[in-house]
Amino acid sequence: MNRAFTVKLKLFLVGLLIAGIAAVSSPIAQAQTAPTDGMKVNTPAVHAFTNATIVTSPGQTISNGTLVIRDGVIEAVGRNVNVPADARVWDMEGKTLYPGFIDAHSDVGMKDPRVELDRGSLAWNPQLRAHLSAENEYDLEDDGSDALRAAGFTTALSVPPLGIFQGQAAVVNLGNGPVSDRVVRTGVAHGVRLMRSFEFGFTYPTSPIGAIALIRQTLYDADWYDRAHSAFSSNPSGLQRPESNAVLASLRDAVNGNQPLLFETGSDEEILRALRFKNEFSITPWILGSGHEYKVADYLSENPVPIILPLAFPDTPDIKTQEDALNEDLADLRHWYLAPENPARLDNAGLEFSFTTKGIDNKTDFLSNLRDAIHAGLNRNSALAALTTHPASLLGIESTHGSLEPGKAANFVVASGDLFEDQTRILDVWVDGNHFSINKEDAFNAKGEWQITSADGSFDGVLNITESRPGRLGGTVTIGDEEIDLASATVHQESRRVRAEFAGDQLDVHGKVRLTASISGDRLFGWAEMPGHARKQWSAERLSTTESDERESRERKLRDLNLVDLRPAMEYGRERIPEQPGAVLVQNATVWTMGPQGVLENADLLIRNGEVAEVGRNLSAPRNAVVIDAEGKHVTPGLIDAHIHSGVNGVNEIGNAITAEVRMGDVLDINNIWMYRQLAGGLTAAHVMHGSANPIGGQNVHIKMRWGALSHDLIIDDAPRTVKFALGENPKRVGSDRYPDTRMGVEQIIADRFSMARDYEARWNAWEQNQTGIPPRRDIRLDAVRDILNGDILVQSHSYRQDEILMLMRLAEDYDFRIKAFHHGVEAYKVAPELAEHGAGAVVWSDWGGFKIEAYDNTNYNARLLHEAGVVTSLHSDNSQIASRMNWEAAKMVRVGVDPETALSMVTSSTAKLLGIDHRVGSLEPGKDADFVIWNGDPLSTFTKAEQTWIDGRKYFDLEEHAELEQAIEEERAKLIQWIMEAEND
Amino acid sequence: MKISLLTTLIFAIMLIFSHSLMAQNQTPAPPQSEPIALVGATIHTVSGDVIENGTILFEYGKITAIGTNVDLPQGTRSEDVSGKYIYPGLIDAWSQMGIYEIGAVDMTTDINEQGTVNPNVMVERAFNPESRWIGVGRSAGVLTSITTPGGGLISGQSAAMMMDGWAWDEMTLKSGVGLIVNWPNTNNMRNYATQLQNLRDAFADARAYKTARRAMENGDAPHHDFDTRWNAMIPVFDGERPVVVSADEVRQIQDAITWSIEEGVELIILGGRDAHLVTDQLTEHNIPVIVTTVLTSPNRDWESYDARYSLPAKLHDAGVTFAIAGGPSAPYANRLPFEAGAAAAFGLSPEQALHSLTLAPAQILGIYDRVGSLEVGKDATLLITTGNPIEYATQIEQVYVQGRKSDMMDSHKYFYEKYREKVDQRATN
Repeated sequence: MNRAFTVKLKLFLVGLLIAGIAAVSSPIAQAQTAPTDGMKVNTPAVHAFTNATIVTSPGQTISNGTLVIRDGVIEAVGRNVNVPADARVWDMEGKTLYPGFIDAHSDVGMKDPRVELDRGSLAWNPQLRAHLSAENEYDLEDDGSDALRAAGFTTALSVPPLGIFQGQAAVVNLGNGPVSDRVVRTGVAHGVRLMRSFEFGFTYPTSPIGAIALIRQTLYDADWYDRAHSAFSSNPSGLQRPESNAVLASLRDAVNGNQPLLFETGSDEEILRALRFKNEFSITPWILGSGHEYKVADYLSENPVPIILPLAFPDTPDIKTQEDALNEDLADLRHWYLAPENPARLDNAGLEFSFTTKGIDNKTDFLSNLRDAIHAGLNRNSALAALTTHPASLLGIESTHGSLEPGKAANFVVASGDLFEDQTRILDVWVDGNHFSINKEDAFNAKGEWQITSADGSFDGVLNITESRPGRLGGTVTIGDEEIDLASATVHQESRRVRAEFAGDQLDVHGKVRLTASISGDRLFGWAEMPGHARKQWSAERLSTTESDERESRERKLRDLNLVDLRPAMEYGRERIPEQPGAVLVQNATVWTMGPQGVLENADLLIRNGEVAEVGRNLSAPRNAVVIDAEGKHVTPGLIDAHIHSGVNGVNEIGNAITAEVRMGDVLDINNIWMYRQLAGGLTAAHVMHGSANPIGGQNVHIKMRWGALSHDLIIDDAPRTVKFALGENPKRVGSDRYPDTRMGVEQIIADRFSMARDYEARWNAWEQNQTGIPPRRDIRLDAVRDILNGDILVQSHSYRQDEILMLMRLAEDYDFRIKAFHHGVEAYKVAPELAEHGAGAVVWSDWGGFKIEAYDNTNYNARLLHEAGVVTSLHSDNSQIASRMNWEAAKMVRVGVDPETALSMVTSSTAKLLGIDHRVGSLEPGKDADFVIWNGDPLSTFTKAEQTWIDGRKYFDLEEHAELEQAIEEERAKLIQWIMEAEND
Repeated sequence: MKISLLTTLIFAIMLIFSHSLMAQNQTPAPPQSEPIALVGATIHTVSGDVIENGTILFEYGKITAIGTNVDLPQGTRSEDVSGKYIYPGLIDAWSQMGIYEIGAVDMTTDINEQGTVNPNVMVERAFNPESRWIGVGRSAGVLTSITTPGGGLISGQSAAMMMDGWAWDEMTLKSGVGLIVNWPNTNNMRNYATQLQNLRDAFADARAYKTARRAMENGDAPHHDFDTRWNAMIPVFDGERPVVVSADEVRQIQDAITWSIEEGVELIILGGRDAHLVTDQLTEHNIPVIVTTVLTSPNRDWESYDARYSLPAKLHDAGVTFAIAGGPSAPYANRLPFEAGAAAAFGLSPEQALHSLTLAPAQILGIYDRVGSLEVGKDATLLITTGNPIEYATQIEQVYVQGRKSDMMDSHKYFYEKYREKVDQRATN
């Protein structure tokens, strides 16, 4: 087959396909530039829809009105509209017209996206596909527009689905012409995902931290690209030509905020992550939600952003047996119950949003889910606005779409009644004046009694067609005195045909008698096939008509559970941040100040406005102070864990050996039960660290355990920046082809990046002085390495063996800076004098070892020996559970001979020092944060537990309050489980 | 000058030699050869009252007298331990001591045998007496380890091992302590049903084997060939060996109880995370629980942060017989005292906490005639401490294992002393 023929064949097939689809409608919108093939089609495209209830826009309804459309555009709408003389008239008696729905985030036309891009000037990373545009990628085959139309949608935003920068979205009408006829608006927004697409293999970025860093770097690159090309084009002589990069070129408007970035989010945290880009870039974010938006409705009210809401609801929790129910967490039970309330809650918070069908596998469920949302309190006008006017204005098509007004596109829905009622069906959808039948109304009703007459009178009688159950016909035929049940009865609406059969015994014939007839008004004309092949003609006259029953509306269970808003929205979540009393006086306790005052017996701790005011004996209580009698109890500073990994989404970015650009602070997640458990064990602050997959890993974050706050409010605002390094087995065993494979390579790649960062800094310094030529590109990875070398980011290095610890100290000394602390350091004791000399601290386990070869020479005396050698030493957990009992970790040091105060310093003051936050926390000294714990005994005793945990002078944990919460959780779980059982039985 | 150099050299050689003598692994002590009396301590017998200013006398490894007024036989080596405390050695009821050395180095672990049905494997025969972790655990007061195989459906037989000795034979206190069964997990009910059937089939086959062999032995049937696996299960059917079933989730625990009654075998629940939900059933059938891992957090978010810490107290209040064990990892046997300590912070009395590490596991696992309390006739396996061994600040100063006065050196102390020497050398330079 030669090539020209193939092309012709394809054209023919495409033409056939389009013709086939278009056959049901009047195709007025052929591509305007295409020549006519064959006969010119000139079917009139003027329609008048009369006697209709017309909802022209949310809250605006015309009863008994007329809508006129001409050539795909609305010509007139109103109660007193004249039907044009050239119009085809459609009687809409009993029907309701709505503006066509707009799906604000869809994959229409994107069902089979191109994965591999192998042409043109691409970006270096396969996740960067911003140069793609929906209109150019649109694939007509099984594009999904029919499913959307069936749910009442006439317009959709088509968003390229793959990658982190996915490409540019376009608005398309859901008609049936070529793409060129459907496109309404292009370049609407850039789609952005906060996580890699798995289609491109396991390469950078492998994690949410990496994805966010890649977005950040790409936005900087787009900005640089624009400036670099301007500089080059203004005076190219002598300059190295900047790269050509379609991705960066396409992002120019987005970087300046002139084109929205449409972030696809999967959780409440991802919304915050997307919006936090505004702290750094002048972008215009839009949010595609995930159904969890109600959890941050307060934040969204204060930080308004266009929101696109899905109506996909979570699966019913598995409570089939009570053992299964035991395993369902309150967070999931609550979310299942509250998910339908999401739109209502946002609406009540004054937020504007548009709907999407995204996440609903079967698009016909959309209307049902919408009605669930209305049952859950969503105002109907708001619901309609979220389907019409809001998305129209968001997508910049409000002059032509979103309402039924003259001049706008003839996009509308014909419904059998009020759309928000269960029994209402969508009958037709019109797109650009093209008709699509969704649910046909019956052309005739065969039900009722018919008087049959036949030529020979042999079966004159009465045929009674009834609906035996919904959608199923049956009935009887009565001949003489015999009433015979019809074995089956069917109608075929399109051919206007009725069929039935019955046993012929009463007619003295043995076998089946089959009837078939055409229906014309109140007459049937048919013939019967008798056993033995006799054929008899018959006709019938209607005696009566039976109307179809109204479709039963679905019973929706009364939503009678009152669930208060919790943050985090899970067990033990709070209704609000605890109060901060103006003054708190804790009296008569043993106070471990961990400062110069040492341990004071029978002492008082005075807190004012969230800070320690005084520690001493017989302090007097300020007026209105909260006074706590702590006789027999001990008070310590809040415990600090120098190394945890809980409360973040993803710990390692393993896509590169050096990932200093990623930041754990980007992916904090408050939906983390560990934080509450850690609070219960007296932990008030922690250093949340990157994993150990990289010689130079990501930047860590210092947080306080402010249970009930938003993720970015956990961060200790004036803590120094720190970075994770990792030596030894972990970084060398990642992947099979990633450098390095040996400890030798670990050392060399770190040294190599140090050199790169020095060169990078030199280039920038040169540019700052001359400002000529092409500006250097900002590289956030090298920015971080440069800051490490300059001491602006403190190195906290994972390590096991003495050789690697010594190596990193010597390497840092070569580059004239110091390592802040070595973590784990199972063999740190072997180089204790060297650590002391270098000035590095040690952050070690109390008693871990033996789990791998580099941990074999462990000793519980590690911290003791380090301390004795003059190394500032802290303990850490590296474990969510152990982080909830760090006092007992310190207590283990007493067993190996460390004095109690030094032991406690290893989870308080020394920890704060090594993390660079000792100006705020770690000891109870005037001016420091009021982070403290009240214990029911000696904090280093196995018989002791925390009774209260305070942060910033606010009581975040209280043993008595905990008992009440526990009880309340049991009750709420029980209520929800009962509710689900009742709802499922309905 | 020459002499001085030689002296230095000899001193240096001696230093090296002394280091090699002070091996990372403790040197086993000789069996007790003379009567020993520890005099003046507060003695916590666990089985009886606390004896203030008491004396405990032991000979040939057995306790021969305890009290405030003990006659010492001639030749008794009497040791003044006034101001100290004496406790029975702690029992680690779930351990991989001797079969686990370095987790991530496969060749150093001997825990899981090939296949799913291994009732015949005997853990003591693979016990490495040179393991570093023996000394480390012993320094924390763990003097008996129930070394337990893992993996599969029927893992093998556990053994009670004494924490001093030259080789596994003399260190074995009791072999065949329990037949270890891993109760299938309930995540997938179809798979659960299949696994339960496999378990029932294995027991039915073994029982049929016993019948056939007995018939053969009684001359009622022809020869039936020896089956290594099924033969190892006969003591279970004869009531001589309990089945230790690892079960945590409520269905697992309940179904294991039902199964044990059907099978007529003696059951011990190992794990027991949800045991507080079915205490009536446990007490009705007198089924003991070895609570593994108190120092952890609940599996379900809604459960209280202290759900695991307070589980032993709940079982105690409900009258369930229980012991406390930590996780099985050998390097962490030294954490065992603190597992019971956490239970004590959360509702269990200190006495009950101690009981759960001593007499309770001894009784549950059928070794109470030898260890678990300080009573005349039992092994002289005991601790001399500065206080309650479950309290962090307490020092375990000396231990005796079956009357052997153990070397208290262990790898942790060894590395400390060696590198303390480095610190001191640097300081003097």
